[in-house]
Parts: sequence; C-alpha cells; structure tokens
Amino acid sequence: MTQHYLALLVLLSPAFFVITAIVSWFQPGIRPSEVKKAATVATYISLAIAAFCGFFVSKYGLLQSDLIGLSELGVSVRLDSLSGIMLAMIALISFVVLRFSMNYLDGDGKHGAFIGRLAATIAAVQLLVLSGNLAMLFVSWVLTSISLNRLLVFYKTRPGAIIAARKKFIVARIGDTCLLAAFTLLYFQFGTGDLEKIFIDTKVLLESGEANWVLEAVALLLVSAALLKSAQFPFHGWLIEVMETPTPVSALLHAGLLNAGPFLIVRMAYIMEASVYAPILLLVLGGFTALFASIVYMTQTSIKTALGYSSVAHMGFSLMVCGLGLYPAAMLHLVAHSFYKAHAFLSSGSVIEVIRASKVTASKRIGSPVRILIGIALALGLYCCLVIIWGIDPERELALLAVGAILVMGLSKLFSTAIDSDGSFKLILWASLLSILVALSFFTLESLFHVLLSSQLPELQSLTFPETILIAIILVAFAASVFLQLLTPVLSVSTAYRALAIHLRNGLYVNTLFDRLVRAPYLPSSDRRRISVAPTRKRKLVHDERFANQSS
Amino acid sequence: MIQNKVSKQNFFENLDTKQVELVNALREACEKVAPVWSLENFVAVNPYLGFSSKNFDDVAQELAAAGGIQMTLPTQFYLQKLREGVIEKQDLTNALSEKGNKTEASLFIKNTEKDLPSNDGLETIATVADIATEATKKDWNRFVTTRISQWAASYFDKGQAIWTAANQQEGLFLAWKYEVQVDRSSELMGLKDFRKRVKKFPDHPVKAAEIALQKLGIPIEDASLYFHRLLRREGGWSAYAARLDWENKLYGGVDGKLIEFLAVLICWEACLLESFDNPVIDHRWNKAKELFTQRGCYRKLNQQLATNLIFQEAFDLATQRKIFEKFQQAEAPERAESLQAEVQAIFCIDVRSEVFRRKLEMVESSIETFGFAGFFAFPIKYIPIGYEEGEAQCPVLLKTGPVIMEQVADPSQFRQALEGRVLNSQVQQLWKSFKSSAVTCFSFVSPVGLSYLPKIFTDSFGWTRPVPHPHEVGLSKSVYEKRDVSLTFDRYKDETVGIPLNQQIQMAKNALTAMSLKDSFGRLVLVVGHGSTTVNNPHATGYDCGACGGHSGESNARVAVAILNNSDVRAGLLLENITIPTHTIFLACLHDTTTDEVKIYNELDVPTERNEELISLKNSLKLAGHYARTERSMRMESEGNSNADKMIMGRSKDWSQTRPEWGLAGCSAFVVAPRHRTKGIDLGGKSFLHSYDWKKDLDFSVLELIMTAPMVVTSWINLQYYGSTVDNKNFGSGNKTLHNVTAGLGVLEGYAGDLRVGLPFQAIHDGEKYQHEPQKLHVIIEAPMRAMNIILKKHPAVKDLCDNGWIYLLAMDEEGKVSHRYLGDLSWEKTRRGVSDNLRTKDPNPLELGVRLK
Repeated sequence: MTQHYLALLVLLSPAFFVITAIVSWFQPGIRPSEVKKAATVATYISLAIAAFCGFFVSKYGLLQSDLIGLSELGVSVRLDSLSGIMLAMIALISFVVLRFSMNYLDGDGKHGAFIGRLAATIAAVQLLVLSGNLAMLFVSWVLTSISLNRLLVFYKTRPGAIIAARKKFIVARIGDTCLLAAFTLLYFQFGTGDLEKIFIDTKVLLESGEANWVLEAVALLLVSAALLKSAQFPFHGWLIEVMETPTPVSALLHAGLLNAGPFLIVRMAYIMEASVYAPILLLVLGGFTALFASIVYMTQTSIKTALGYSSVAHMGFSLMVCGLGLYPAAMLHLVAHSFYKAHAFLSSGSVIEVIRASKVTASKRIGSPVRILIGIALALGLYCCLVIIWGIDPERELALLAVGAILVMGLSKLFSTAIDSDGSFKLILWASLLSILVALSFFTLESLFHVLLSSQLPELQSLTFPETILIAIILVAFAASVFLQLLTPVLSVSTAYRALAIHLRNGLYVNTLFDRLVRAPYLPSSDRRRISVAPTRKRKLVHDERFANQSS
Repeated sequence: MIQNKVSKQNFFENLDTKQVELVNALREACEKVAPVWSLENFVAVNPYLGFSSKNFDDVAQELAAAGGIQMTLPTQFYLQKLREGVIEKQDLTNALSEKGNKTEASLFIKNTEKDLPSNDGLETIATVADIATEATKKDWNRFVTTRISQWAASYFDKGQAIWTAANQQEGLFLAWKYEVQVDRSSELMGLKDFRKRVKKFPDHPVKAAEIALQKLGIPIEDASLYFHRLLRREGGWSAYAARLDWENKLYGGVDGKLIEFLAVLICWEACLLESFDNPVIDHRWNKAKELFTQRGCYRKLNQQLATNLIFQEAFDLATQRKIFEKFQQAEAPERAESLQAEVQAIFCIDVRSEVFRRKLEMVESSIETFGFAGFFAFPIKYIPIGYEEGEAQCPVLLKTGPVIMEQVADPSQFRQALEGRVLNSQVQQLWKSFKSSAVTCFSFVSPVGLSYLPKIFTDSFGWTRPVPHPHEVGLSKSVYEKRDVSLTFDRYKDETVGIPLNQQIQMAKNALTAMSLKDSFGRLVLVVGHGSTTVNNPHATGYDCGACGGHSGESNARVAVAILNNSDVRAGLLLENITIPTHTIFLACLHDTTTDEVKIYNELDVPTERNEELISLKNSLKLAGHYARTERSMRMESEGNSNADKMIMGRSKDWSQTRPEWGLAGCSAFVVAPRHRTKGIDLGGKSFLHSYDWKKDLDFSVLELIMTAPMVVTSWINLQYYGSTVDNKNFGSGNKTLHNVTAGLGVLEGYAGDLRVGLPFQAIHDGEKYQHEPQKLHVIIEAPMRAMNIILKKHPAVKDLCDNGWIYLLAMDEEGKVSHRYLGDLSWEKTRRGVSDNLRTKDPNPLELGVRLK
C-alpha cells in the first residue's frame, strides 16, 4: 500500500506542469508573471520528485501503483531504474528549458501560451515514462505528439512551421496506429495491460522457447512506432525543419521527446528479445540512418539544421544499439545525447563566437597515409588494452565489442588527425590524453548503466547469425566513412566527391519528395506583397484581384 | 578564404557593345543594393545606400515596386501618434505644405481615416516566379529563394559546414552552374529538364545573362526595374555579395560578385520560364513585361504610400520641434573656460555615451567630457596574439592604416602565451573534428555527453559562458590582463607592423586637432573606447563600436594612449605647437555599454604619488555607472527586480537574453558643438555628440571631416534602425527566437529563406512599443552656414543626403539655440520656433570665410 501511494506521489510532477498549462489559459499573452511562477514551481517540484524517485528506486528496485481503471487497462505508475533515469533527465532538461524560455520569449504576444504548451508537453513526456500500463502508455504517447504539434505551429502564419507540422502529423499518426495495433495484440495475448505482468509472461514464454508469431508481430509494430517517433530515415523531414519555432522547443524536442522511440524499445526489451526480425529491422534502419544523417550533418550550412540531422543520427545509433541487445549502452547514449543536444541548441547563438575565435593559426593536415595508419594502430592498441583490463568476453559480448569498435573509429580520428598534422608534439600528447579519457569514460559509464539497469532488462544474448553479418556490414560501412574522412584532404578536389557532397547536402532529396507529398509548395507565403501586370495599354493601372487574394 | 583576397578576376573584358551595355545595366541595378557585413563584425549600414542621390519619397515608390519594401510604418501608427498628441496638427500642416499638398490638415486626417486600407501590402512588378506562382498555385518564389539561399550559404560559408559542397575556389556564376547541374531538387519539384537547360548557358556570366534575357524577351534598356526586383527578392545574399564587392573596391580590386549573382538570378528566371513551357504563363508573362517599359510606372502603383510619407514627414518635424524646445529651454550655460578641468574624458560619439557622460559630469563636476568617433582617428589593423590575420579596427568607409600586433611586454611570457594559444586552438580543432565528424560523433556523445549536464546548469545561471569569449580563448587570466599593443616597427609574415615615430607624431597631431583638443590638457585624459558584454547573441558585434569596424574599441584606445604618452611623440608635437604638459597622463579605457562599467587599462602609468587622483577617478566612474544603469533600466522590463544594477548585470550574462541592452535604438539626433552647448540637456541616450569648436577650426578642415565622415556614419546607423523598423522583413532580421545562424556569417529566420540583414525585431521593439521609432537623423552643427555650404558644395554625396531628405541639417547659433534649417540646394531658413531676428547668428564675413576655406 505504501508502495502504491509513493508511486502515485510521483504524479505530482506532471500534475504541476499541467497546472502551469492551465494557468496559461488565463494568462496566454505578454509578460505572464503568474505562468512564470507556476512554471518555476513545477520545475523545482519536478527536480525534487526526481531525487525522491532515485532514492526509492534504489531502495525498492521496482515500485508500482495499483491500477486505476477497468479490465486491466488504465492508469498505473511504474517506477524502476529506467523510468527513474528518464524522469530525472526530463526534470533536469525541463528546468533549463523553461528557465531559458522566461527571458528568451520576453515581449512575445503569446509568451504565456508558449510556456503553457511547453509545460503540457513536459507533462505528457513524464506520464509516458512513468506508465505502468499499456493504456496509459498509449494515451501519453499520443498526447506528446498533440502537445508538440501545438508548439510546432506556435507561429502559425509561417508556412515553414505548417509544413513541418503537417509532416510530423502524418508520421505521428502512422506511428500511433502501429503502437495501437501492437498494444491491442499484447492485450489480447496476455489479457492484461499491466507491463509487469506482460514482462513476466513474456519471460516465461521465452524460456519455453516457443516461437510466437503474435510477439513477433508486436515487436515489429513497436519497432515501426519507435522508428517513426524518432524521425528515422526516410521520415526525418519534419525534424530538421522545426527551427520554424523558437529555440527552446528544439531543445526540448531533441533532448526529450525524440527519446520516446528508443525508450519504447528499451521499455519493451523483453518483447524485443522474443522477436527474430525486430532487432534486424532496428539494425538496418537505425544503422543506415545513423550513417546517413551523421554524414549529411557535416554538409549543412545552418547550425540548427545541422543539429537536427545530428539528432536523427544519434537516435538512429541508439536504436541500432538496441537492435544489438545492448540496452544499457543505448540508454547511456540517449541520456548523454539529451544533455549534449539541449546545450547545443540553447547555445546555438554562440556559434559566431566560435568562428571568431577560430582565427588563431590552425594546424594543417599533411595527408600522409602512413601517419594516418599509425593513428589507427594507436587507437586499436588502446582499445585492446582496455578490453583486456575490463575482461570483456569476445564470444558472449560480441555486441559490446561491436559498439567498442565504433569507439575505436572515434579514437583513430583523434590520433590520426593529430599525427597527420603540422602541429607540435604536444598536440599528439593532448590527442593521447583525450583518447584515454574518452575510452576510460566510455567503459566506466557503460558498466555503470549496465549495473543501474540490469534488473529491468533481459540478459545480453549472443547475436544470431544474420545479426552478426549485419553488424559486420554496418561496421565496415562506418569504418569506410571514417577512413574517407581521414583522406578528405586528398579527395576534396575530385568532381565526384563534390557531386556527392551536393546530393548529401540535399539529404538525398528525401525531404523534397516529402514536401511534394504534403503539398508544401501550395502553401501561400504570409507575404503581403501583391504583383502587378500591365492591363491594357494606357489605362489606369488596376490591380488584379486574383493576385491579391492569393497573397493575402 | 575567398573573402580576404582582393579579386582581380575580370570578366568585363573582350565584350561586344551590346554586352557592355548589359554590364552597365546590371551594374546600375547592383549599385542599389547596400552591403551587409557578416556577424563577426556586424557594422551598421544604410540600407538605402545606393539611393542617396534620389529623393526619399521617390525611393520609397521605387522600392515598393521593386521589392514590396515599406519605407514608412502603417498609417495607423501615425494616426495613433496624432491621437497621443506626439504629432501636432501644426506639424502635419507643415509637412503638407512642404510636400506641396494643399489639403487642410484636419481634412487630410479625416480622408485618411475614412479610407484606411485593410491591407498595407504593396504592389510590385512581376517576375516569372510570381507569374508561375499565380498560374500553378505553387509558391515558386519560396522554392527559388530556398534553392539559391542553400547554394549561396554553401558558397559563401565561413566555416559552418565541415564538408563544403560548393566550389568556393571557382567564380560565383560557374560554381552555381556546376551545382545546379548536379542538384536534382528542381526536377523533383517538377521543373522539366532543368539541369539540361542550365547546362546550355555559356560559362561567362554576362554572356549567359544576355541569352537569358533574350529568352525572357526583355530588352536591355527596359530591364532596370526588373533587375532591381530580382535582387530584392534575394536581398540578403545580394547584400552579402555587394559587401565583397565593396571591400574589393576599397582595396583597389574590381566589383563583379553581385553582377555574377544577378546573372544567376536572371538565368534561373529564364530556366523557370522554359521549364514550364506553359502558354498561360507565357501569356501572362508577356503582359507583365509591358509594365517594365512604362518608365516611372512605379510611381502609380502604390497610392497609399504618398499619404504615409506625409505622415512620416510630420512625425519627423514633431521630433525636430521637440529637439528645438530642448535647446530653447536649456539655460544659457556659462562657458567654463576659466577653470581648467582636472580630468578630461574622450568618449565615442555613440548615443550610449551620452547617458554616461551626463552622469559622470553630474557625479564630478571637475570632469570635462568630449565626444569623438570611437576609433580616435587611429584606423589600425589589429592582430591579436596568435591570430593569422588582422581585423580592421576602423570605420568601414576607410582603408586600414598601420598594422598593430597585440603583445605581452615580457618576451618570455609573450612566447609562452603565443604557444599556449596556438596549441589550445589546435586541440580545439582536433576535438571539434572528433566531435562533429560522421560516425566519430557517436563515440563522442556516449562518453562525453554527460559532461554537458553540469554545463547547462552553470550556463543557465550565468556562472559560465556557453563558449569562452573570443578575446579570452586560449589565454590565461594573467596573460589576458597583461595584454598590450606593440608599436615597434617590424615585419610579421608579409606585412610591416608597428608605426614609425614620425608617423606617430603626425597621427597624434591629426587626432588632437580633430578632437578640438590642442591645449588646456587635464592631468588625466581618459581615452574611452566602448564595447559590449553579451552572451549567446549572434548579433553581439552589432553592439560593439561601429567606428572600430564592429569590434570593441579597446585596441584603438590603447594605441592612441601609447602614442600620446610617448615622450618622443610629445617632443615632436611641440614643434607642431601642441604642448602636452608632463603631468598629463593619457589613460586607455573601455566603456562597457551593456553594464556601464569603465575599465582602465594602463593604471600602472599613473605614478604612486598620484594614486589618490586615480582612486577618486575610479570612484566617480563607478558612481556614474550606477546612475547610468538606473536611468537605462527605465527602458527595460524589470519583472519586479527593483535593483537596476543587478538586473542590468544579469542581462549581460544571460544566455537567454534577447535584449541585453538597447544599443542605439532611439538614435535621432547628432549634435556637433562644444560640450557646454548640450551639458545641461537630457538627451535621453538618443543623441550622438561630437565635440567641435568652429572658432578653433581655422580652415574648417575639421568641419569638413566631421560632415564627410561621422555625419555620414551616424546617418548610416540611423537609417539602419529606420529600415529595420519600417520594414523588418526586408531590412531587418526578424524574430531572434527563430534565428538560425547560417554559413557562419548571418542568420536565417527559421529553416529556410533568404539571408537576413539588419537588426532583429527584438532590438527595436520591446513587445509593447517601438523602442526605436522611425525618425530620420537631425544633425545640429554649430558652425557658420556658409562654411557648411561650401563643404556641401565640395562633397556632392554629402549634399545629396541633406538635399534628398535622408537627414535634416540644422544650424546652431551663438546662443546655443537651433536657429536655421537647411532646405536643400544650399539654402537655409530660419526655424519656425527659432530665435528672434536680433539674436540670430552673426555670419562671419563671407570674404573672410573664403580665405579660411582656401
């Protein structure tokens, strides 16, 4: 019973955000002092509750409230390490984002409404991560899209904002349908909407070793919902256009809402384990998106657009890691990315200062293959040392090794760039120091997350044969792209390379096609300009009514 | 870096007569586009720069037709001002009579109110994209703008994209042509064979434009307005190209970037027309073109504009009336000549100095202040420690003079600082390449991403900056404090740096003469540059000193002081009849306009026995800062924060602040007179002040300098604010919360669209009212009108500004009252509320003047 009330107490956090949203109805306009107060209180309470959750989760492991609802469907709060981490992360980011919005939007005619909509969205995301029941999970999943939509069209006369919202609307509704189908199947399979019961039954099913087509279908539907929610290729178009709405929305979206996809997969990890094809789908689409978006990111000329692609890439990476069954690593990536991206968006106005500061004499690349290879060798060496120290079992933990291999690629970039440059010896020392720090911190944090989350997640399974093949292909593709980047000084003069850059800068035209699909070109501009054509000669100019209607 | 090279490339050679004619037509259109500086040094530019030779009202009509650009606020704004009594009926009557409109004022108001337009949209001439938009119901303008803007951002990119797609080494037109042949977007949007059509054009921009014009069926002689229209549609990138041309021309190169860009726009139109191959569009296009041939057609397009222009004039006259009243009511000040000021402080003419100067004089009456352009007549190129290239620290109208290196006095410490900074930058470069490359970014985020958790909190509370300040990057605190300038004559890379002694003496003499400060030096003379402190603000440099080319005025002040404190220079100045007493010490200072703190750099030059002077000075500065902040806080939303100091300091550190300070918002007057004329008057931080004593200016060369440089620059600033206020869409950069920094040089508003120029809406409006109301600059000069006339006659560009209604020129009499108003064409009239006849200025003997002006 205490458990029940303790768990319900957590709902105070979303409740206060809901109150903020309600206050904003009464004060939607300029300088909304009461809304600001409500929002401030909500953020502090949310932080306190997140801390409180941390304490009780570490004490009890899993806390669950009784169901408020009918036929095993309804509202129940599930507090475990996963929802605890997510709740804390959202509380921290909400605090910063709301604080940022207080001054940033000052003077805006809809300042109150803006804070209210942010608060509503935050409440929806918190409900989502706290859900202990399919019904609540589904409803809050849909609520996040709906409240986000109201933020996307905050400036509703901007055609760009409307187009992005339209795209998001289509993608979200398909995703919702997938999720609804998945949950319906689950409900009928297990006869309950309670997550804990479903997990336990799934475990039993898994141990029996029987293949179950319903779970297979559920897993595939869940994966589809997650891919759609996290703006994976080819449905990423809306995400890179959200800078049509104020910066704090981007920060919250990229650091909070987008995580719903990977979160869903981790939450439903037991069901993923019961599926053969779902992990493969995650590997293929997540891996491809990660590669595609992280390359496109490099070609973008506008800071927020670039950051948009970067988020797409990181979500892809998280989903791919989920596909490997490395849920703790995926969560680590998710959480780390959230803070990184929230900061990147909120500080995107500082990019001019970065460019101003970059005029100090830079080191130049030499472009010597031998030096590049030495760098790669050093990175590999460092990685092997750490693998041995950490005692990773290559057979059982092949997946972990694979993720580690991506780390090696990063380290080679550090080493090779330093060695293959005209910088001083000190630069190489710095590169080594940074590499060691990065590698150590990776293994430490990965272990930490593993310990934190292990109680809520299935054991790491060894990879199936198709998965092994797939991951090998992905790694080769990743490595090739890193190697090509290392060779950039040599390649950049070639015409084909340039043409490739142009195609990539256009995101391989996927978004152009999406534009046509949502009839983006038909949306008139908010421009008040009218155009004139000469009517008949030497008569007074009469302006053409049809033109006026069109552009008003 | 294409930007830094002076372009010698010339495609204007070997052209036939027809093509030469075309080049002239293209150039004529291009000259109408004002340049825009990149955000690295965002100086104010008059957006109507190419139009000063034309009358304000005519330009309003032309810009309306060519780009739907507004040059007044909507009618309602002025009607509101009438209701509030800001504009009096007499102002309107005067404005009407000046415009030759015989309507009676009340009738005029009644008529205006009766048929108030529901939509202030302006009518423009059509482009092919406009016609196609109308015919297909798809917004082709938006599409074309997005395509061009994406490519231009890549072509002009200064380091945003890690992998640059456009070929920056190639000429602009060729680079575009290559890109469009690869890019599939246009065809995917339904433009048939677009790439093939582009391919058929010659590689030469002028020849390509010639063919495109033939396809469009526009004769060269009728194309002028059409060219202008195209440039306005992509006004932002056009302005950026214009800026490259500006710098090329300033340093002896040729123009051509913007002409190439215009060629791109024309080719786009031709390809668009061909790709549609639609009889309806062809027909409508032919109709639209008929309008181009009607000369001056634009005058008839927008009738409502004429009404608004009259209101605008009335609004300006109302402002002028209030300025007259201020001077009228000011008590006749006694000239404080008898008393030698202990401390003198030279501030920038910037309107923000006005508040601080007033407060400083109030706090300590023995301090005398001066106003002078914030580069103090030292147009240097400044190379900070470890920098590859220098920055131009002078008004953008001028070429840079001597190159000055930053240094630390102690050589070993200097070497250490230099190495440290270079290493730091290399490590940063390395880290960035790890953090933001494909795939490796994944190995960055997992281990390092969590470190941003504490950072978003410390940044959020203003304890840390999101990124280090560019001036401080890679320098330890002690080195940063010890930075100094080196005047030693030397060589660095392939430049000569430093200033030889005789040049130092010459520069010192020119500066002191121009400041009207050749005798009666105080014991301490402060040379106060200014800069701003903001965080996370793409437009940060816009708040810095414009006279220092959009940088902080610190280094100019340091150079000025280093020269003026040099005993050899002072010895040399003796020969020029300028005696600086030995007890006079010049102090280099920086006025932080965001926080109103003044920092003194060379305190150590004050001997210990004079420590008390220094302490009392510092106290005065501190107190003046407090009072200045209190006054300025009235203009800011305080949110119940009663402590003005805390609120203003907080703004300077707040990464979410879109209005760290009001900058030059409200600037509407420029007073050129000795300080005692304005000393008792509260000009509200809206007036530029230049110290000038015409009686000491024997040949009026200083007046000539003031009227040709600071007066022009202040009008640039004023018109930048004017343009951003009346049409923020075209001459402003829109909503700051949507800003998306692009190509490392400017902003987009949102995801796509054209590069934005001018000021953000937040810089001129506080959400409830305009903090800058559209007012043209009123320049008040205390000098004989004849002298001004002679200077105007000698400089037609300056005369144009005054004749065509871009600035109001006013003369001040011996009593310190505004007595005459310039009417244009070198004639003046007595001000309506001016002084009575017997008090009017005694004009010096014209003969005598003639002698003085040579």
